Amino acid sequence: MTAQAETTAAKTVLICEDDSNLRTLVRLALGEGYRFFEAPDGPSAVELPRKLRPDLIVLDLMLPGRSGFEILSDLRDGDNAETPVIVISAWAHSDEAAYAAGANRFVAKPFDPDELRAAAVELLEDDGRQQ
Amino acid sequence: MAASSKRRSVSLSLRMVAGSAVLALLVAAAFGVLVYAVTTLDDATKRERHAKAVTAQTLQLEKLVLDLDTGLRGFVLTGRNDLLRPWTTARRALPARRRAFLQLASTTPEERRRAEGLVNSINQYVEYYATPVVQLAKATPAASRTDIVRQEGALELGQIRKHFADFLGTENALSAARTSAAQRRSDEAIAAAVTGLILSALLITGFGLYLARSIARPVKEVADGAARLAGGDLTTRLEPHGIGEVEELTNAFNLMAERLEASRRELEEQNERLRESEQAKSDLVSVVAHELRTPLASVLGFTSVLLQRDVAAEQRREYLEIIEAQGRRLSALVNDFLDVQRLEEGQLSIASELVDVSRVVREQSELFAGQSPKHLLDVSLPPTPLPVRGDSNRLAQVVANLLSNAIKYSPSGGVVRVAGKRNGTVVRVTVQDEGVGIPAEVQREIFGKFARGHAAEEGIEGTGLGLAISRSLVEAHGGQISFESTKGRGSTFWFELPTASPG
Repeated sequence: MTAQAETTAAKTVLICEDDSNLRTLVRLALGEGYRFFEAPDGPSAVELPRKLRPDLIVLDLMLPGRSGFEILSDLRDGDNAETPVIVISAWAHSDEAAYAAGANRFVAKPFDPDELRAAAVELLEDDGRQQ
Repeated sequence: MAASSKRRSVSLSLRMVAGSAVLALLVAAAFGVLVYAVTTLDDATKRERHAKAVTAQTLQLEKLVLDLDTGLRGFVLTGRNDLLRPWTTARRALPARRRAFLQLASTTPEERRRAEGLVNSINQYVEYYATPVVQLAKATPAASRTDIVRQEGALELGQIRKHFADFLGTENALSAARTSAAQRRSDEAIAAAVTGLILSALLITGFGLYLARSIARPVKEVADGAARLAGGDLTTRLEPHGIGEVEELTNAFNLMAERLEASRRELEEQNERLRESEQAKSDLVSVVAHELRTPLASVLGFTSVLLQRDVAAEQRREYLEIIEAQGRRLSALVNDFLDVQRLEEGQLSIASELVDVSRVVREQSELFAGQSPKHLLDVSLPPTPLPVRGDSNRLAQVVANLLSNAIKYSPSGGVVRVAGKRNGTVVRVTVQDEGVGIPAEVQREIFGKFARGHAAEEGIEGTGLGLAISRSLVEAHGGQISFESTKGRGSTFWFELPTASPG
């Protein structure tokens, strides 16, 4: 438990989601050992990744003021071209479009917390190996 | 301009009839002139024949006179009775011959006068010279043979012969003059008739060309236009020219094309509206599914966390509250969605009873006053009722929605001012808060379905359907709803309904 916490301690996760309950749920799903940051709207979801250079981004496709696809392509064009992104969306059929825009995983709402956690762990491990 | 339009009002058939009539008259006139020419020629022939007959009669009369003279001379010279026979025969034939001559030569009074002059000179010769000389020769032959008598006879006869010559000369001259005049008239008439017929032929050709131009060409144009129309080009229009019925045909064609185009446009618009409404419906279903999934994600997610993990008692309560709130949100969402659906399909029944808006506002204010300790409700209502015609439950729903929004969107509390008053012919209800206000960029869509402004990021619950439903309800009551808002300073929502007429 402690060993695992130490290996992932440095990992920062940015949660871009407008619903505060779901932000809480994402934190709960991923569990202890991460530094969480939150972007509740479009503009902050564009701004924060540039500042934070997070290890993982969890991105809702429907954010006030900006479409998730715009944010995604903005990420891929900028400093966060390689940052793993998990897209969560209530639009169950937007998975293909999300992958095309550069998402690493697509999780449909409502989501299973364990499934989200597994995806996050996998992506962060891959990322670690690449670096 | 007026003259030309008046000219156009003369119908084509009238023009055809008039044109044909004029041409027929012209042809008839030409034939009339021709008939006149033939008649004149015929008349001239008759005159010539008559003149010949008169000449023949005259010559015969002259021969008779010469017979008389021959008989007279022979008898006077010889005294032989047999030589007197020509005289006797001629003397007997003379009256009939004279009568026939006079009868024939009396075409004009002038001719008759001349004929009578001739006959008189013959009578004079017979009565005053020849007959006395014959009697003298019978009585005293020698006396009748004197030079005086002979010279007298020669003189008389010479005069008669001169008379004959004059008569024949005049008669021939007159006849020739008349004949040539008739011939001339006939020639002129034939020339006129031929000219008339040629002119008629030209005019008929011209009239035919005119008809072709004013009927055949426009009809061809209409046929071409109809072909283009049938080919699908409904913008086809014809130049509005032509006369009378042809103009009517062109106009009718254009009207038909316009109607066709209009009905096709209408069909296309209808089709487009159907497509749009179909699209809107499918969008709505998709939006509703999306809106349901967000609270559902909280309900299922937190339930899953509670089931799979050991959660501290305090946190468990927090998660359960979230699950309950999101469950309620789902329920409210479904109810609101059904309301919207019914309102849009016009299936929501709205009662039409006399409602005192003042009472509705008071009741709703009392309900909300107890719910939020942070807010102060300032209710301002007139002493007299505010009567409108409508559905008290639905109007209560609108007031409740505005009050609930005012409280929700002023999370730090403050005064919520609720007022009802009569404003001219309308009843106006105002709900004013000191909350977060509505940012300018979302003000336009605030009455739309699922419009929640920046509510989510502020952590304010809601379905985003309340104002859409409120607007539909107010409009169903014949009223209007609107607002003024400044971000950070609060919002003022108001709606107006027509005042119910007293009694």
